[in-house]
Amino acid sequence: MAAEAPVDFAALQSLLKASSKDVVRQLCQESFSSSALGSKKLLDITCSSLSVTQEEADQLIRSLHRLTRLVAYRDLTAGEEILALFPENFHQNLKNLLTKIIMEHVPAWRKEAQANQISLPRLVDLDWRVDVKMASDSITRMAVPTCLLQMKIQEDASLCGDKPAISAVTMELSKETLDTMLDGLGRIRDQLSAVANK
Amino acid sequence: MEREMAADSQTPVEFTMEELCQPPLEAKSEVTNKLLDLQWKMGMAVSSDNCRSLKSPYVALMLKVADQSGQITNKSFEMTIPQFQHFFKQLKEMAAVIETV
Repeated sequence: MAAEAPVDFAALQSLLKASSKDVVRQLCQESFSSSALGSKKLLDITCSSLSVTQEEADQLIRSLHRLTRLVAYRDLTAGEEILALFPENFHQNLKNLLTKIIMEHVPAWRKEAQANQISLPRLVDLDWRVDVKMASDSITRMAVPTCLLQMKIQEDASLCGDKPAISAVTMELSKETLDTMLDGLGRIRDQLSAVANK
Repeated sequence: MEREMAADSQTPVEFTMEELCQPPLEAKSEVTNKLLDLQWKMGMAVSSDNCRSLKSPYVALMLKVADQSGQITNKSFEMTIPQFQHFFKQLKEMAAVIETV
């Protein structure tokens, strides 16, 4: 929610109890995700791998979540920018390790954040078929080419959590409608070329 | 059993993952919806609550679709530029095929 929420750096000290750098790396990754804050599983894993209390684990996850989200929000990619976030008296080695881990992950985190930001529904699949209509209840003989187009549209992932609804809309297009559609969409393509050439 | 497509219902049909892997479309006699209108816009996402600074272009489409009874539904969705290009390419393929039929 609030990308610039203050980070409780003291809580990060619990990471000093980690048995390896990989444990720290893993925790950083898990804490970034939007489901991290409610996750009992993550809380339990953190408690046991660092041998800390539930409360300490909770504060740690919260801080890591805020820190990683802050870096993704501001798109900090340079080491100095990330180091500058830490308070002066922070444990030097831990600071360097966290900075290194964060730098490695920022591009992937930004991608994830963008994929999960609010948006209109997204087209996830497109199927089509070309038919020739040969007869109907009103016309006994004809040979009319027609297209069937089916689009599968997925609702905004950020609204629906883990299982966003997918709905399908199927429509029949005449050749003329399809040509008109392509005309319109062709204009988008022209605009894109114009923008790309600037 | 094959799931009926949204031929006779007014609202789009929802699918589970299993159903999405079903064999292709069935066209019923009083078929399907007709496309009445297509509107589009191109935009650029510049900022969000997750990322302060973005430069992420997208294409948004709105399809106005009428079913057999005349009921009109609007379907809006957005695509990234690569997704749009793929979409456009598929429609062009369709147009090429329909020329030959």
